[in-house]
Amino acid sequence: MNYMLKQCNIVFDSLENGTLVVDEECVVWSWNKWLEINTGIEAESIIEKNLELFYPEVDYKGLQRKIRTTLRLNTPTFYDASLSNRFIQIPRHKITSSLLSFMQLQVTIAPYIPAEKKVMISIHDISDLHELKMTLQQRMKEIALLNSELQQDKQIINANLMIVKTDSGCEIVDATEAFCDFFGYTKGELIGGSLSRFYALDAGSDDFEQMKEVLRNKHRWSGEVEIITKNNDCVWMDTVISPFVDEYGEIISYTAIYHDITDKKRIEMLSVTDPLTKLFNRQKFDDVCRGMLMRRHWTKEYTFGLIIIDVDYFKKVNDTYGHQAGDSVLIEVSDILSQTVRTGDVLARWGGEEFVVLTPDVDSGKVLYAAEKLRRAIEMLEIPAVGKVTASFGVTVFVEGDTQESMLHRSDQALYRAKEKGRNRVESIFS
Amino acid sequence: MESTEFSSDHLDVLRELMNIAMGNATASIADLLQAFGTMHIPHISISDMDGLKSYIEEAVPSDQHSYVTKQLFGGVFGGEFVFVMTNESAANLGHYLYDVDVPSDADILDAVIELTNILSSTIISRLTEELNTKVQFFPPSTEIISGNNLISQEETLNYHRIIIVSTVMEFQSHKISGQIFILTKDGMIQRLRELIDQKLEELYA
Repeated sequence: MNYMLKQCNIVFDSLENGTLVVDEECVVWSWNKWLEINTGIEAESIIEKNLELFYPEVDYKGLQRKIRTTLRLNTPTFYDASLSNRFIQIPRHKITSSLLSFMQLQVTIAPYIPAEKKVMISIHDISDLHELKMTLQQRMKEIALLNSELQQDKQIINANLMIVKTDSGCEIVDATEAFCDFFGYTKGELIGGSLSRFYALDAGSDDFEQMKEVLRNKHRWSGEVEIITKNNDCVWMDTVISPFVDEYGEIISYTAIYHDITDKKRIEMLSVTDPLTKLFNRQKFDDVCRGMLMRRHWTKEYTFGLIIIDVDYFKKVNDTYGHQAGDSVLIEVSDILSQTVRTGDVLARWGGEEFVVLTPDVDSGKVLYAAEKLRRAIEMLEIPAVGKVTASFGVTVFVEGDTQESMLHRSDQALYRAKEKGRNRVESIFS
Repeated sequence: MESTEFSSDHLDVLRELMNIAMGNATASIADLLQAFGTMHIPHISISDMDGLKSYIEEAVPSDQHSYVTKQLFGGVFGGEFVFVMTNESAANLGHYLYDVDVPSDADILDAVIELTNILSSTIISRLTEELNTKVQFFPPSTEIISGNNLISQEETLNYHRIIIVSTVMEFQSHKISGQIFILTKDGMIQRLRELIDQKLEELYA
């Protein structure tokens, strides 16, 4: 070993990385202390011997080519450090992680004494870095897998669920394809518009205010709403609207999920609708009346009324013009009554030529006024092939202790009185 | 303030120096790898990051996976040497250098690194030698990239003046080819200009 190499070995021994000197034939000329410790091979036993004797697994054709490149170009060459080691294997003793049992090495071959065709090979242990990289790659794979699953779920949701996202001001920011398709809008037409514009509910109605109140309190609202499509069709939606709040508890967005229940609603409507007049049937009237009787807040000035309407001389109409004309009379009377009652009043066909109206939030004066208005509306009616018809009215209001039967009884008596007094008139019994 | 702009004279000198460096690289590869290849006349342009992105998008196929090796070099003239090979070319190189029918991923990566080493050392060393300055090479790293998105998204937001030197290297008999990009920016452009000025003075002295 020449003098220069001996001097350099002192420096090499102090390095915190592996350093060896080899020639073009891979004979070892220097083996520093770091290598002695980490490989367990003493410098004395390897120096002047071929590296292949100790590490036969190394690709020596490739190594010699790299050494030759280094010497010819007088520049360092490198091994790829990203995959498995292609240079010597050095055991690793890390216990807390078992990802690598051999050190991952960054190997640089630099010109050393070109005249003697010797190069210096520096070995840096980059195992920790490599482990981090492997862990990161594993996590990235997991994230990619999750993302792909998420993407699939998103596609399924997008294609099948009707969902709308709005900002805190209920302006639409996104909508699924299913929503767009169902309602006949493009996403562009929806975004930026107000969600409430699709609702058939009046903005000031009780139901709408109740929904707003629930959402304002940062609670989830669910219920059935009627929505208008782009083609002006009305559809019924089972709806869940959820507010999302930020870390300060402020609402940042809403998500509305819709489920089409139009068919269900249609069946429900059929079960409570009179097939001839399309008014509510007796069963529905009973339900509503029961609901009103259960409310406890009625007073003398703020009660609800019950009006029974009976078309005068209806049997005569049937006998004279036939049952078809009789049906026309019932339909025409129903239509005019529907147009004349107030919003919130409940109109139903009681049976035969009899109709009933429940009028909430009235006193005796108001219910009489409402009945008189209805009477006049019928009186004004001109029915094709039949001409004029009239009706008699029996009116009452709810008083403390009333039942449906007691109210019906009173209004029925009043109706009888109206018939007695010559028909086409309103009579009332209030207590 | 001193101008950092390159005149057409500067670009001509750089083009000439690159021609010499490329010739040197071809000879070295023939000598060291026994592969006889050609290098196209280098394209040299000055651009910004968006321009570089567009240039790479045009030069590198967007529908393939590529082995992209990046190696930094430092010194008075420093920058980044980028070598891009398609999957197929890289596999052919691995097959050629390691003399195996189906090279492993590690074989291919190491072969790509080895070729990049030779290319960067010969081209950059020769260029810096001609410019009378020294250069230091840093360990290269290779990644397999799908498409041609070689520039990180955040990097394009930064404003840099960049010199792009690019060429195509081909070993037709082995079906191996690759794109070489030598990129240098900002302060280094000024230094390169100064080195070329010195070279011009030296030539016309």
